Amino acid sequence: MIPRKLGYALSGFAWPVYALLYTPLALVAYYSLAPAPNMAGHSFHAYHVLLHDGAAFAALRLSLILALCSATSATALGTLLGYGLCRFRSRNARGVLAQLPSLIIYTPIIMPSLVFGISELIFFNFVHSVTGFLAAGLQTMLIAHITFEIPYVALTVFGRLSGLDQNLFEASHDLYADGLKSFLYLVIPVVQPAIIGGFLLGITLSIDDFTISFFTAGPGSVTLPIYIYSAIARKGISPEINALGTLMIGTIIVIALLHFFISRQRERTRQGVFPPPQQTKGAV
Amino acid sequence: MSPARTQAEVEGRRQRARLWTTSGPGLVWIMLFLLIPSAGLLAIAFFSADDYGNPVLPLSTQPFQQVAGFSLLGWDAGNIAIFLRSLQQAGIATLAAIVIAYPLVFFILSRPPAVRPLLLLFVILPSWTNQVVRTYAWLELLGPNAPLSWLAHSLHLLPPELGLAPGSLAVTSGLAYNYLPYMIVPLYASAEKLDWALVEAGRDLYAAGIKLFWHTVFPQTLPGLLSGVIFVAIPAFGDYVVPALLGGDKAMMIGSLISAQFIETPDWPYGAALTLIMLAFTGLGLVAFRIFSRKLGGTGETAI
Amino acid sequence: MKDRILKKILSVTAVLSMTMLTQGFSAAPAEAQSNVPVLNLFTWSDYIDPALVTKFEAQCHCKLVETDYDSNSEMMAKLKLGGTSQYDVVVPSNFVILEMADEGLIQPVDHSKLSNFSNLIERFQNPTYDPGDKYSIPYQWGTTGMVYDPAKLKNPPQSWSLLFDPAVNPNYPFVLPKGEGRNEISAACAYLGYGFNCMAQDQWVAAAKLIKQTRKRPNFAGFVDETPALSQVKTGLLATSIAFNGDVGNCHADGSCRTLQYFIPKEGGDIWVDTMAITSHAKQPALALEFINFILDAKNGAQLSNFNQYASPNAAATPMLQPVLLTPMFSPPDTEMSRLVFLSPLTGAKLKLFNAIWTSAMQ
Repeated sequence: MIPRKLGYALSGFAWPVYALLYTPLALVAYYSLAPAPNMAGHSFHAYHVLLHDGAAFAALRLSLILALCSATSATALGTLLGYGLCRFRSRNARGVLAQLPSLIIYTPIIMPSLVFGISELIFFNFVHSVTGFLAAGLQTMLIAHITFEIPYVALTVFGRLSGLDQNLFEASHDLYADGLKSFLYLVIPVVQPAIIGGFLLGITLSIDDFTISFFTAGPGSVTLPIYIYSAIARKGISPEINALGTLMIGTIIVIALLHFFISRQRERTRQGVFPPPQQTKGAV
Repeated sequence: MSPARTQAEVEGRRQRARLWTTSGPGLVWIMLFLLIPSAGLLAIAFFSADDYGNPVLPLSTQPFQQVAGFSLLGWDAGNIAIFLRSLQQAGIATLAAIVIAYPLVFFILSRPPAVRPLLLLFVILPSWTNQVVRTYAWLELLGPNAPLSWLAHSLHLLPPELGLAPGSLAVTSGLAYNYLPYMIVPLYASAEKLDWALVEAGRDLYAAGIKLFWHTVFPQTLPGLLSGVIFVAIPAFGDYVVPALLGGDKAMMIGSLISAQFIETPDWPYGAALTLIMLAFTGLGLVAFRIFSRKLGGTGETAI
Repeated sequence: MKDRILKKILSVTAVLSMTMLTQGFSAAPAEAQSNVPVLNLFTWSDYIDPALVTKFEAQCHCKLVETDYDSNSEMMAKLKLGGTSQYDVVVPSNFVILEMADEGLIQPVDHSKLSNFSNLIERFQNPTYDPGDKYSIPYQWGTTGMVYDPAKLKNPPQSWSLLFDPAVNPNYPFVLPKGEGRNEISAACAYLGYGFNCMAQDQWVAAAKLIKQTRKRPNFAGFVDETPALSQVKTGLLATSIAFNGDVGNCHADGSCRTLQYFIPKEGGDIWVDTMAITSHAKQPALALEFINFILDAKNGAQLSNFNQYASPNAAATPMLQPVLLTPMFSPPDTEMSRLVFLSPLTGAKLKLFNAIWTSAMQ
């Protein structure tokens, strides 16, 4: 494992990096405590205003729905895609056709988001006018978000799998004649960290996207970034916007910590009753 | 026809069937919802623009002449400068992200397995606040009244009235800050399965330090690193939010140039032509990157 | 053990997202849920008092659905791409009205349905940007001038030279708005002596050249739009910028920028108007007119301005406005009004030329 001395050096580097990552957020939190109009000192005025702002919370709700649904679907599609490309693609194939999957998988990453959004808008309008399906709204935003999240999951999964010994798969294939079983019992556990990472990246991409959401949105679908961009354009970065950011990140941090401590506690009590578990493999 | 060959053919067909049942849905999804629609939009690069920038017939090469720098007002080297500048910013930001990501990932791995997901999550969490809100805070941190700028003032690197932001340093650091999670996650996913036995074996061969890292750790984490480079370099190349906020668009980047052609000063054929050229260069870059990565990894299995 | 936790997390998110999905889908098309007609308003977020929305919904027995955009040009792109039939009322700024009409994005307003039209201040009943208010009805208005921090810039001339003359501000950071370029080119024109509302090609080119030179000054801090730029002046990132009177008046009033100074340059400045217009393929044109007439009502107009803290174009609303909205900051005295103009609309080839010049200034 990592030698102790190197471990200290790594900690010495990592903690300042974490601090740096959170400094802007601390500043956001600080600005959210701006004084109430014509008062001195810090206050929770912005939070008070925010709590009565239905539009902001509606936007937050829509963004959460969009992020969770799109990341879940993209994780499923992307994991399969990454696995399939790593496992079943002939290595010796040459020519344009063999390169096609790579070409396709990179397009969502390299396409400028504006071109992405406008293309999809035109496409959805066209489909809607012909078939009556895909009216602009949550569903079109969802499709667009899934599209730009898939490659991030697929490439992360691919990166995890591609260094693995191919014999492992062969062996599993002998063990479980059924391809599905081998996928469920061998592949999924091995790529878990990549699946989780891809899912988190998907949420990150979705929750912060403005351009593609704006163009694929229908009447009434205002996501959090759309709400915030628009509010900044007319009112500037207000303490309320900072309060919104603080509330959001604060809630997530509290949930993450709570979940961590509760699950650790549970694990400890379980270990007290039952014999300790075997060494976990591929643990995340 | 020899039986062996038939068997190979059957096996090949089966392999292809498996490829399509696993990869098919994702690939078809992207094709249907992005490739086909964007091909339609980018085709307007070959049209003329009317007064409002909408594509009209006849077909024309004018959009590409505009990309090369010709406009109503004569030739201008602006576009070339924009392209090179974007390339430089994205390159530096990617390097910075790599340099930060490696120690951070191994720091996470040096902790007990139960804490690791939490530490990973905490790298990503800052990105869940709004990018504009976050970037404005970053702007304040690099402003004239912040400690970093005081340092620059006292070293006479900067006049006392000005801040580090807006400027190219602010843009680079902002890009690295923004895209760091996209480097960390794939790198973590591939470093997490690192075979430490190989590293121990290498310790006898290569002593320690950089050499050990280069010969044992680096090849094993290469697949993750390559995904990370793609996740950071390409979006950073086309980003227009960070340059606008932290660079004040003082020095325009390719993403801003494209966005202006579709939004602020519409000229859609020109915008489409710019996008096509940018896609072509990114595609070439990816091919070069693949060849390079295969050389590094020794096999063809490191990047898709 | 970890696997179990992970599986739990995954299954919980899966269930959660599926329920949200089904919920979200059923909630998505607002019209599908109920039989009341829906008026789709496309505007800036937080630009209408929620209480006014409730009041209007009660009056019209309809539902008002709001969607947000963050710039005129983005809104126009969206309308071009099918938005003209998705939204009924939009809130464009004055200088794009005729451009939108020319492109077929908005339709003429039927004045016979607007019983409250005469409530408007006379200046806004027949403005140069849209003669006779044929396509647009004023919503809020204000002036564009300059804001500066007197702690950094001591007694600067009340002129656009604060932006364009390196001798006036050699050191402190300043910005120009990004936008569509009209205010920036106009300000440069005014400084060069062509007048704020310059329209000739050579004047635009000279203005663009001036902006290109200005960009090279070490204390030029980039292109930032008026409202966000004011936030940066407040926190000390910038010393001066172009600004809207309402924004400065606002932060004067709530105490967050007491020391900042605002002026309308002696060479002239512009009156901006955000207006209401009806999209060319609106599904509810009658409701749209009812909404516009609702806003033109004296009491509602006052409520709107009191909420937004911008000046009201509604003369009848004046007695009900908060006192701060009647101060010179919000309602400039006649001496200042004489220096203010509406930006002339640009359409067709003239607009294309302007865009080309502005693009070259930005590169």
